[in-house]
Amino acid sequence: MFGFRLAKRDQALPGGQVLAFGIGLIVALAFGAVLLVVAGHSPVEIYLKMADAAFGSPQAWSTTLTQAVPLGLAGLAVAVAGSMGLWNIGAEGQIIAGAIAGSWVARLGPDLPGPMLITLMLIGAAIGGGLLALGPAIARAHLGVNEIITTLMLNEIALRTVRYLVNGPWKDPTSIGFPVAPELPEQAALPTLFERADISVLIAAAVLIVFGFYAARSKWGFELRIAGSSEKAAEYVGISLKRKILTVLVLSGAIAGLVGGLRLGATDRIVEGVAEGWGFAGIIVAALALMRPSGVAAVAIAFGALRVGGVAIKGQGVPASIAEIIQALVLLGALGAAVFTTYRIVGPNSNSGGDATSRDMSEVAS
Amino acid sequence: MIIAGILGDLQVLLTDTGMWVNLLEFGILLYLAALGEVIAEKAGVLNLGVEGMMAVGALTGYWAGIQTGSPWAAAVIAALAVAIFAMVHGVVSVVMGADQVVSGLALTILGLGLAAFLGTDLVSQPSGAKFSDLSLGALGDIPGVGPTLFSMDGMGWVALALGFITWFVLNRTRVGLNLRAVGESAATADAAGTPVVATRLVAVAIGGAFAGLAGAYLTLKVTPSWNESIVGGLGWIAVALVIFGAWRPGRVLIGALLFGGLIAVGPRFQTRRCNGDEITDCITTEINPIVVSMLPYALTIAVLVLLSIRSRNRPSVAPAAIGQAYRREER
Repeated sequence: MFGFRLAKRDQALPGGQVLAFGIGLIVALAFGAVLLVVAGHSPVEIYLKMADAAFGSPQAWSTTLTQAVPLGLAGLAVAVAGSMGLWNIGAEGQIIAGAIAGSWVARLGPDLPGPMLITLMLIGAAIGGGLLALGPAIARAHLGVNEIITTLMLNEIALRTVRYLVNGPWKDPTSIGFPVAPELPEQAALPTLFERADISVLIAAAVLIVFGFYAARSKWGFELRIAGSSEKAAEYVGISLKRKILTVLVLSGAIAGLVGGLRLGATDRIVEGVAEGWGFAGIIVAALALMRPSGVAAVAIAFGALRVGGVAIKGQGVPASIAEIIQALVLLGALGAAVFTTYRIVGPNSNSGGDATSRDMSEVAS
Repeated sequence: MIIAGILGDLQVLLTDTGMWVNLLEFGILLYLAALGEVIAEKAGVLNLGVEGMMAVGALTGYWAGIQTGSPWAAAVIAALAVAIFAMVHGVVSVVMGADQVVSGLALTILGLGLAAFLGTDLVSQPSGAKFSDLSLGALGDIPGVGPTLFSMDGMGWVALALGFITWFVLNRTRVGLNLRAVGESAATADAAGTPVVATRLVAVAIGGAFAGLAGAYLTLKVTPSWNESIVGGLGWIAVALVIFGAWRPGRVLIGALLFGGLIAVGPRFQTRRCNGDEITDCITTEINPIVVSMLPYALTIAVLVLLSIRSRNRPSVAPAAIGQAYRREER
């Protein structure tokens, strides 16, 4: 178009993804500002209020980190699968499965001491999430069934399962009509770390760090990246793709399931909205972090802050959905901008321009 | 005893005109959205933004219905609005070449967020326009199909017409051939002179317009009200339907009616739901409607698995280039 076209860079632009994230953020905040002006608010005032609510005090930091936990772990879940080129779109459902399994465990052992109950609950949650991912994993590994659609469909099935449970068999008889399960035993609540943050922050940080190092240093992580970059190369060096797909997708589901278990600590009981869109947000986080654990942590904190800010401005009559809008726009902006980390624009008069037949020429010229 | 009960229930259900009317309504809605997705996917663009596009369409249609008072004007406005909204996915995934899965999901999150944000004032407002049933004179008196099929509203006939047009254009015209070529092998189509990016953009826009119609039909007919969770997974069913119907407009119609039927039947399996005064007109088995509402998704997984087993020996029915960005520079 107009003689301009894209030419591939010899090397990806260093720091390009950070730049793309920055561009995405600017696009999102600018569009958000337009929405706020249309709705009759001052964007500067609202954004400052959001920033203050997210970072302004130790208490603000504690809420931001609390929100970053499910985002980071859900992001990691998606990233684990993504680093092998698999899409786990089912984190949302696996979070629900984790919460169901976790609260089932907690219902079984109301007399257990706290640390033991919490440990069992979290293990149960991880198993629950892993189990929901097992079906798509087997189907993908052995039959080649597209995991995107199966995990997507299981989200809706998991959502309806929890809806069924809290409206029926697990309904709290004292909740006068509200579809909620009875509260979990008191000792199942996670201990406080500081201010409003509980130890889930430590658990999430530990999981991210351990996995980050393991994926970077171990043979397993190395094989994962090979399998992600080329199936043929993986098979050539003797990596069993089927086993890799199975373990990676189930691990991904287990990490998402853990989110469900940790959220039970925050909500005291299982409710229909236990997943709250964390799973879908995790996809955005993982995509922005280019499937890297370190990036996942950074994006999770940024988006945690956005969500805290979104809730904080509710009092001003601004719907909290502004946080979701900004998140989606950051991703879309960054996705669009990311093109320029691997491509550059070539002008109509540059000697690498011209039509596609001069491709060899352009390679020589660049 | 149980079998007799279920047979009796079936009879009650099949003679329940309300059930058939609901089946058609949900079928029409799902068909419109799924048809749009067929067009986009046939051109090689997976758009997981249907849920969000339908939310934007539902809100726009509801708002435009209040403004104009005409359901048709409102539906057209919603279709145009969502066609433009879908261009976000078009620009990011087709022009810039970003991953279609991520971009489409972002479109869903953006659409749900935008609809919730912009629709806060409409939650308590009464509906301004509603599609009314179309009377076809004597045809409406035919027992069975008369009060249902031949009494449905105009959008039902529009959906059927769009389905036929889609099939015809895709399979019987040059334009359709080019579109399918772009979805099967973009590089080959490009070499043959078909503008790949433009074709895909148009397909995404049409897909958006259809999702917009579906969303508008939701708030202008099926549930004439607005709240932010009104779409409630119908968009994902539409995505599922495309696979269920093997990317063919005719089969997708059958699937839409089947899934629409499941949605319509769900709430009817509550004990003592009666058509008339007589006890023989009552449903006796109790099935939780939430359990029934899982069936469309479970069926889609089953079909997907079956298709995969079958396609081990023959070529896959899915468009070959689906999900792949096309950049001429990388040919």
